[in-house]
Amino acid sequence: MFSTRSRMSKIVVQVLATLIVIPYILPLVAMVQGSFAGRGIGNYQKVFGTGVVGTYFRNSIIISVGTIALVYVCTMLAAFGFAKLRIAGKEAWFWVLLAALTMPEAVLLTPLFVTASTFDMYNQLIAVILPLAALQVPFAILLARNFFEGIPTALMEAARVDGANVVKVFWYIVLPLTRPIAAAIVVLTLINSWNAYLLPMLMLNDPSKQVVTLLPSFFTSQYTNDQTGVLAAAVITAVPVIIAYLFLQKSFERGLSAGALK
Amino acid sequence: MSARTSTEVREGRSAGSAGRPGGGRPQVQQWKDRLEGSGIPWILLAVILVVGLIYFSIGYTGYVSTLDWNGFILSPADHVGASNFTTMFSDRVFWLALQHTAVFYVVTFTIQTAIGFFFAALMHSQLKLGNVYKVIIFVPTVLAPATMAPVFRNIFDTHGQFNWLLEHVGLNFLARPWLAENGTAMPVVMGITIWQWTGLTFILFYAAMSQIETEILEAARVDGAGNLRTLWSIVWPMCAGTTAALAVLGFIGALKTFDVPYLITKGGPNHATEFLGTYIYQTMVQQKHFGYAAAISIALLVLAIGGGVAMSIRNRAAEGK
Repeated sequence: MFSTRSRMSKIVVQVLATLIVIPYILPLVAMVQGSFAGRGIGNYQKVFGTGVVGTYFRNSIIISVGTIALVYVCTMLAAFGFAKLRIAGKEAWFWVLLAALTMPEAVLLTPLFVTASTFDMYNQLIAVILPLAALQVPFAILLARNFFEGIPTALMEAARVDGANVVKVFWYIVLPLTRPIAAAIVVLTLINSWNAYLLPMLMLNDPSKQVVTLLPSFFTSQYTNDQTGVLAAAVITAVPVIIAYLFLQKSFERGLSAGALK
Repeated sequence: MSARTSTEVREGRSAGSAGRPGGGRPQVQQWKDRLEGSGIPWILLAVILVVGLIYFSIGYTGYVSTLDWNGFILSPADHVGASNFTTMFSDRVFWLALQHTAVFYVVTFTIQTAIGFFFAALMHSQLKLGNVYKVIIFVPTVLAPATMAPVFRNIFDTHGQFNWLLEHVGLNFLARPWLAENGTAMPVVMGITIWQWTGLTFILFYAAMSQIETEILEAARVDGAGNLRTLWSIVWPMCAGTTAALAVLGFIGALKTFDVPYLITKGGPNHATEFLGTYIYQTMVQQKHFGYAAAISIALLVLAIGGGVAMSIRNRAAEGK
């Protein structure tokens, strides 16, 4: 955007960018530094010593994978339907889904809590997966529909003429073209499900069913005032999601520019 | 191979939308734009999930909002009609939470947009280590507020790193217990939110800017426009769609605010960082007033849908001009 032909302007751009990112990295530095304060690596040993880290991670992974799978299936099918097929009252259906985008988790609390208790789903991971997916699907469909609209219909018509049915067209022609937007949806859903706090806190009371976002508060309740241990717990929780993001970063950005919000 | 085909798709798409930034649907639909066959079965799963969970919850919450109930399934619930809502309208904390939400929205949205937009422009200016910068600004977005809460509580503690920093740059007089004072707790909550979400704002502006053709910028330069002038008069208007979408998302996000104030300040001190979300949680889980919590939830929902729809309609109208 800025033309940087002269050496001077190159330096100015570089310095400005550096100044902007400094406040963004400082809290992370404080986190890592604090987690090693005092007993160094011993803080981490103490967190792993609680014996719950593995359980919490396993639960978080199940919830994330389950939510991503559900969101992916719902979104891909629905986005194709909205973008490329005939639906009576299409925009009305679309708005029904979009309105759910405004849904605050807080409104879900009472109904979900009571429903889950009634159907004996309290303390089951599925009681977190379903609402997380339901909250994520509207936004995912909004992004994906835009992307699907951009795939030329002629491409699909050609396959139809050759005798493929709609399901085959979707499977062999459309799906392989949707990888960028799928990556964006996977990353956004991963962030939201891995980081979910309120729903797991409410629905999962059983210690064997808790998730990584509850690790720092678990540690606080076990060892009051062991701040360094809490920070080590925070680092342990943060590292996997940062690594996952680094792996998916390129396709995530590509997907977002292709699905572009409007 | 898939990478190549997806590029082709994108090219086809931008040709269809006449190179407008942000892409968008073609305005004129061609006669063969839809395949034969009904789309209903395709959207069914999503509709069942969303209607089954979310619309069911809205209905249920609407019902509970007319009760005086402590949340235990076996304990009796009194039907109290609209009395929860009358209580709400005269509840000082409810209005305080609304006021906080409004201030919070204006401040966080403005600052995030300013930083995100400007930073996106910098990232499109062929600087060195661009990817490192991009990762740094986006990493806060992927971290859970629950993960970062203990970190920020440490940083803004009386003996925390923030006060340490102030003392070392000679601003000792500013040092204070940031989270314990009425006047500073809210700015800290807003600061943390900005820290967390600028990455998303940035990445969406970055995506929108990558669709602006360089010829347009070159033309502006040839006409003598400087960098800042080009940015303000050409790039900013061309990103209007993104800004509008972010404004709607930010509005809804502000109403939903829960994690950061709950985890960092518990809505305190003295309700100074109370939001609707934290107030609902407190009313429901700590005070066991399920009916009243449901009434506030309904108010929150009405505001979110009303505001969201109003803003989208305004955006549509502005686009039509």
